[in-house]
Amino acid sequence: MGRDGLVRRLREIVGDRYVLADPADVVVYEADALPLTGALPDVVVLPGSAEEVAAVVRAAADGGVPVIPRGAGTGLAGGAVPEGGGVLVVLTRLDRILSIDPRARLADVEAGVVNADLNAAARPYGLTFAPDPGSQAASTVGGNIATNAGGPHCLAYGVTTHHVLAAQVVLADGSVVWVGGAASDAPGYDLRGVLVGSEGTLGIVTRALVRLVRLPEGARTLLAIFDGVEPASRAVSDIIASGVVPAALEMLDALTLRIVEDFVHAGYPADAGAVLLVEVEGVADVLDRLADRIRALCARHGARQIRTAATEEERALLWKGRKEAFGALGRVRRGVYLADVTVPRHRLPEMMRRVAEIAARTGVPIANFFHAGDGNLHPNLLYDPRDPAAAAAVARAGEEIVRAGLELGGTITGEHGVGLDKREQMRWMFTDADLEAMRRLRRAWDPHGRLNPGKVVPQ
Amino acid sequence: MTDAERTTTDRGSAEGGRAQRRGLVRRLREIVGDRHVLTDPADVVVYEQDGSILQVLPEVVVLPASTSEVAAVVGAAREANVPIVPRGSGTGLAGGAVPAEGGVVVSLARMTRIREVDLRGRIAVAEAGVINLDVTRAVAGQGYFYAPDPSSQAACSIGGNVANNSGGPHTLAYGVTTNHVLGLEVVLGDGTVTWLGGRVPDPPGYDLTGVFVGSEGTLGIVTAAALRLMRAREAVRTLLAIFDRMDDATDVVVQITAAGIVPAALEMMDRTTIEAVETGAPAGYPRDAEAVLLVEVEGVREYAERAAELARQICVRGGAREVRVARDEAERQRLWKGRKGAFGALGALAPHYYVQDGVVPRSRLPQVMREIAEIGRRYGLRIANVFHAGDGNLHPNILFDMRAPGQLERVIAAGGDILRACVAAGGSITGEHGIGLEKKAYMDLLFSPADLDAMARVRRVFDPDGRFNPAKMFPTPITCAEMRRAPAAIPAGLWI
Repeated sequence: MGRDGLVRRLREIVGDRYVLADPADVVVYEADALPLTGALPDVVVLPGSAEEVAAVVRAAADGGVPVIPRGAGTGLAGGAVPEGGGVLVVLTRLDRILSIDPRARLADVEAGVVNADLNAAARPYGLTFAPDPGSQAASTVGGNIATNAGGPHCLAYGVTTHHVLAAQVVLADGSVVWVGGAASDAPGYDLRGVLVGSEGTLGIVTRALVRLVRLPEGARTLLAIFDGVEPASRAVSDIIASGVVPAALEMLDALTLRIVEDFVHAGYPADAGAVLLVEVEGVADVLDRLADRIRALCARHGARQIRTAATEEERALLWKGRKEAFGALGRVRRGVYLADVTVPRHRLPEMMRRVAEIAARTGVPIANFFHAGDGNLHPNLLYDPRDPAAAAAVARAGEEIVRAGLELGGTITGEHGVGLDKREQMRWMFTDADLEAMRRLRRAWDPHGRLNPGKVVPQ
Repeated sequence: MTDAERTTTDRGSAEGGRAQRRGLVRRLREIVGDRHVLTDPADVVVYEQDGSILQVLPEVVVLPASTSEVAAVVGAAREANVPIVPRGSGTGLAGGAVPAEGGVVVSLARMTRIREVDLRGRIAVAEAGVINLDVTRAVAGQGYFYAPDPSSQAACSIGGNVANNSGGPHTLAYGVTTNHVLGLEVVLGDGTVTWLGGRVPDPPGYDLTGVFVGSEGTLGIVTAAALRLMRAREAVRTLLAIFDRMDDATDVVVQITAAGIVPAALEMMDRTTIEAVETGAPAGYPRDAEAVLLVEVEGVREYAERAAELARQICVRGGAREVRVARDEAERQRLWKGRKGAFGALGALAPHYYVQDGVVPRSRLPQVMREIAEIGRRYGLRIANVFHAGDGNLHPNILFDMRAPGQLERVIAAGGDILRACVAAGGSITGEHGIGLEKKAYMDLLFSPADLDAMARVRRVFDPDGRFNPAKMFPTPITCAEMRRAPAAIPAGLWI
């Protein structure tokens, strides 16, 4: 079966409208949110059901071509880039919320449901889907599962894997299975856990049973302003050590503050060395006391000013700068390479020093805003994409940051996934035996390496 | 042909088998030293059983002291083509450590070193044979603890906890073992020693750590684990509420969690259990009460105080006849005493009990509790319920006398009906005890053949010969070897 035969068969499966083979149409799908990397798929198909996904996978298997699943394309690691061509399976038509069970706090959703849409549907029941990646207005639940996405509120709620109870998955041979179960910690092997974060290399998630959490009774949001990153990092350590688990604990550094304030006017002092955004949630009448504690700890570490949001509008304003920070960076430099490393929390001050050194040595400006509470850094390397020398310097600086994180006992990615971007870096973190164990697992389900080939595990 | 059957037929003739066995024992003695290989029936009999009532006498028991010895033992078993059955402290409740197909029982009980404690990174690296409670003991003085707390925690090992993905009363707030294991050192079937995961949560790549946690020794042998330590809580508040109606008590459980309180523990005991406790190890529970609910909240002081008061109000509003609040640690221990002694106290009511382990959504608790009572009536069996109500993890204890003809069959049938009721309510066949031999026949209540095949594929790539803990977990038909070794007390075709 040649390409034309395959395209014909795909049209039979999903209908003419949902198969794109014209270069002008498929070009939209050549990249995700990883800059500087793209590849044209041979054909793009948008199935409307799990059965159609299974039939598409079987057709691709018969044609001997790779299958690359794609959600909203907001991934930051190139996981949805069809590096060697093949059939790109876009799941955005699988966008039905099948049911919400408020008593059991579960939602049964198709893979293409947008994260924010699920939240909007759960809100009337006083519930929410906890993972809140920065892209939540666009990213899909299936994409969140593929990359085991996190977000600012991971600190208290955990990442996507903690919120997925079961998933319906199409395997490489076109069989459709369920992994996990309606009760948590289903017996047998935890295939659910393996699927979450496997970036489409083990199967295509078409539907998921996800946990919803109760919206908190209340929240208190504080912004503490520090003269530098180090005292702010020490405050982070002390807050956690005190036993308070904030729902979010975010840091923005001086460069970020200047850029953001210019754009967003969130009222961040442009001359500050760092700010901490701290949010506590939970039972309403203890929130003020928890907020008092956090204020005291920030003050002890030299916070020059601490603001507490008194109203929902003020809270939204405090968050606005954080939420729009990435967009603001794009205004000053067209190219932003967003690194994603995690270090043990107590190594944060040292890691921040190293990032500053790398910025100074390579001449690449680096703006930091990140999930300080869980040690998940997001150094943003700013550059001009039209300057090839700058792109090379960014690549070098990015590598140095990852190596520094590993030296401090960290990992090569906190929440964005491996994809193409970090594939080679997997070798820095894992031994050959570790990687071989992962390859074995992949062979178990996809012996021909047909699903999203080349991603996650280096060959 | 199943993996288990293939292994059985490959194992060769009886005569050659005996010679091979002698060679294997010699080789094992070279690896671990004479003292640590047991073959005498008088010695191996201690290893014929775990916490379940299934028994199979092992042929050889070996006690390696290091990861490299474990790897060499695995190599020797592979060369001799015999099964490998890993064993921790033998406190498992599902027959997971019973050598159903013979072979070498590998006891990890000598691997008891805590290799590393890193308090700043909040990690302890413990060998598989370290006793659960010893991890907490090693760090408690510095204000830390290891959260998973199965009832057997004074005896059970970290390796066994990993194999079964064990839970405990405090699972509600802290999660089960898998939520506290960052990485695992494992010996695979080909003798490879590798670390899965690492020292940070949610590392990139496939979550193989998660696959090995709960795999009951069917994929390899876990020799060490990097465990997450937690900071001791600033404050604990414990209260005990006494109810005249079980339905009121289960409703209160739903209301407490609906109020946004996540108690560290939310434990329930029913009337039969109260009777056992008051007969066997009195804790001051009124014998005419229908249910006792133990609520514990932990956290920063402000939260614990407020949450305990809210929980108390919910209990009172929900119809509690009395609510006792512990004012100090001694009172707290008194409130817990009955719960902790409950299983032992069941002996006061019957010579044997069979503890089931089902899970139901919390919102279905009242209904499933009624169904369990009905099942007890139908089979003419007393059922004592002691359970983790907060996470819907039921432990109905079916009381019986093994010597009474026909009772065991009724117990097994009633146990099956309980599990079917749990699954029908949207739950599961095990919360924390594992599948082992006991529940493998029920796996198809939860999983389709295709779902199970996806698991079997994982097993085949890690253990292509089906050598690790054969005949466990998967709903394979009973093999000849199992039939031959099954003790007479167990009705053919059923494992309990």
